[in-house]
Amino acid sequence: MSDIKTKKRKTWKNPLAVWGAKGGNHEVATPEWKNPHQIWKDTKAFKVPTNKIGRFHYEYKSSNHGEKIWNRLRWWPTRRTILWTQGVYNRKSLKPEKIRKDKRPIFWFLSLVLLVIAPFILPEGYKNSLLTAGGIFGIYASINLCWTLVIGTAGIFSLATYAIVGMSAFLTTWLSINLGLPWWMLPMIGMFVGLAFGIIIALPALRLDGFYYGLLTLGLNELCRVFITTSHAFGAASGGLYGADTFINENWAPMTQTLVQYYSGFALLIAALFLFRFVDGKRLGRILKLAPEKKEAFAEASGVNYKRARVTVFLISSIALGFIGGFYAAYYRGSAFDIFSFHTVIMGLAMITIGGIGRADGAVAGTLIIVIIDRVLVELGPWRYIIIGFVMMFTILFLKNGLFGIRKQFRDWRDKKKGEARSSRLERGGEMLPEQATETDNKDEIYRRRYDKMQREFLKTLICDEIIEEHKQKPLGQHSEALERVCYYFRRGAMNDKYVVKCEVPFKKYKIMALSGVRGRSPRLVEDKIYETVEAAYHGLFLRRIQDLMEA
Amino acid sequence: MNDIIFLIINGITVASIYGLIAVAVSITWSALGLLNLSYGFIFSFAGYGAWLAERHLYGEPIFVMFMGITAGIIGGVMVCLLVFIPVHDKPNFTIRGMIGTLAISLIGGQILLQNFGPKAKLLPEFFGYGKLKILDVTLTADKIGIICSSIIMLTLVVRWMKSSRRGLEIRAMMMNPHAASIVGIGVRKTGIYVMAVTGAMTGLSAVLLSQTYYLSPFSGLIPMIKGVSIALMGGLGSVRGAVIAAIILGFNEALTTKFLGGRYVLMTQFALIIIVLIIRPRGIAGILDKAREA
Repeated sequence: MSDIKTKKRKTWKNPLAVWGAKGGNHEVATPEWKNPHQIWKDTKAFKVPTNKIGRFHYEYKSSNHGEKIWNRLRWWPTRRTILWTQGVYNRKSLKPEKIRKDKRPIFWFLSLVLLVIAPFILPEGYKNSLLTAGGIFGIYASINLCWTLVIGTAGIFSLATYAIVGMSAFLTTWLSINLGLPWWMLPMIGMFVGLAFGIIIALPALRLDGFYYGLLTLGLNELCRVFITTSHAFGAASGGLYGADTFINENWAPMTQTLVQYYSGFALLIAALFLFRFVDGKRLGRILKLAPEKKEAFAEASGVNYKRARVTVFLISSIALGFIGGFYAAYYRGSAFDIFSFHTVIMGLAMITIGGIGRADGAVAGTLIIVIIDRVLVELGPWRYIIIGFVMMFTILFLKNGLFGIRKQFRDWRDKKKGEARSSRLERGGEMLPEQATETDNKDEIYRRRYDKMQREFLKTLICDEIIEEHKQKPLGQHSEALERVCYYFRRGAMNDKYVVKCEVPFKKYKIMALSGVRGRSPRLVEDKIYETVEAAYHGLFLRRIQDLMEA
Repeated sequence: MNDIIFLIINGITVASIYGLIAVAVSITWSALGLLNLSYGFIFSFAGYGAWLAERHLYGEPIFVMFMGITAGIIGGVMVCLLVFIPVHDKPNFTIRGMIGTLAISLIGGQILLQNFGPKAKLLPEFFGYGKLKILDVTLTADKIGIICSSIIMLTLVVRWMKSSRRGLEIRAMMMNPHAASIVGIGVRKTGIYVMAVTGAMTGLSAVLLSQTYYLSPFSGLIPMIKGVSIALMGGLGSVRGAVIAAIILGFNEALTTKFLGGRYVLMTQFALIIIVLIIRPRGIAGILDKAREA
């Protein structure tokens, strides 16, 4: 509190003393000087404890300065920012703050760091099985990321992903056995195999759309399975083809082998994430986001060659899948026939749907869940497939787009509930809705209406046969408290549509009318009933008002 | 010449079984918009139903066949209740429905595996061991029986769809699901009818196929994939297209086995399907009648 200027001045000196002023005090002991503004400030200060408001008040927001808004960390040498931040002013304290608009990079970074240090923090007893599962997770997550590129980014519903990986794995294994290729050649050759298969599979995709193509690729998968299992070259009898060169030396200690497997799977995952980022987030991905399903005509009219972009993405991911196939062969020294089975397709679909189709985070998280159920909980036996089936059923029955769609689904649901609550509030008389309240210029009106509504609700509880009877006996004059309150409210009503008694013939004919509330516009007749006496007319008017009150 | 005719009859026999599943896939897709990939499970379910009936109740072929069809109906209605009715009005229905049927086939296959074990089961020969000789060609009773019973089943279904009130509802759903629901055709009720009828067809195909081959928890997979391929070639949503495609693929199977060898059947089959689909993206029915758009 620097503005409270407290100076120590123990004595007061009369400024006139130097001229020899007579009388009075020349020097007096006096209390310390206090800022006369302080009492004003103290009185004015807002002493009520202020709670933080807003949806994310618990979140840390770094302070900001107007000049610093554009001063951000960037990926050298581009202009790309590392985190998407926005400078805003706090609605309540008016302090400048920096908020992070997209927090996903933080979560990605933390989870990847966790994966890197996992071998050092896992419990010793489970380390081996968990790390093996981690290596499998890296490979499957990479496959699913490429698949997400095909299904999500390119919008081609292909189920032949594992067929490409499998064909590449089998062909490279065969080449490695027969030509003695070293392990680092296998992914390279796998890329060409993937490209060749990608071209073959992409041909029908140019003509077919959606699920027609999906069913066709399901058949192609079966074709690959039958071709490989029945051909003699690929070891029809042994359940798979093994014997390829590998980067994992069998002479190493078992733990070293596992660690190499784990980190090579992790490196593959990182590479797949980069591929996803640079295909989905760059030009191709942007083009395809303009051309979602059933809006292709618009994209075409905008000058976007979406077909070419789709096929390009498909071929890129096929090359990547071929690479993964070669990697798979070098990782496992070969491949089993299982990779073509329908079961693998179901498992892959489970992985990408549980997380959410078309999202990198969904593909990786779904893969993690399924790999944990499938490879870590091995002692459950066949039950784990039933668990996976139930997880899938739960996802499709209750979630719109997998786990990572929950956030949006929850917000939609909350907005829907809000809207329902708002519309139900409309029935409860007269009070302004939030959107009306922001529109109206006269804010007093909001409170007048709220008070009026409360009063009417209270008055409704007073209405009973007794007070109606009392009014009938004596419309004018002193009444009981309940009736008096009701009458006061009626009398205080606004001029428009206020009921009045009209005298047609004095002491013989009375009628009830309603005022227009507008100067120069005549009142209107509300009913044809003729009352004999003015008291009866008063009572009739009273009943009419009570009816209006009870109905409002 | 004789063995070609023999192979063609073989092909038609197999095609008539797969054709039943193809028509089932086709009707489900066109009437409900559901890509039902759990026909493999319904197939095994019906097969085990028939096997249990034959073991524990009564061994008469007609009764076993009837029980297989009933089990197929139960399986179909089960899929309808578990997947179609909860999801049919939700966003992303097509893909969610497809994945739901896959989940059911995953769960169901495992449960069948746990209860019956991986050992293959065999149903008895329903049609006896008689033989019929027409112009130097010997027809065995089971082939005639398979072809006749699938034709009867298909005819019954087509007649039912053409002439009954329920069939009218299903056809209305096929033409335009929105308009059908506006004129008061209940989507859920029709869904149950459709799944019951297609389940019955799958059940029949299960009974017919399991007497020549064998029955195991996952034996429905290949018939389903073949049925889906046939439905795709014929054009999803068209019964006529599916029948034509089944006959063409049956011939293809016979000819390929004769001239190239049994290993190449799937390859020529897919080459054929891809060629047809590249020329006609909506399958053969693209020439015959309109298929469902979405």
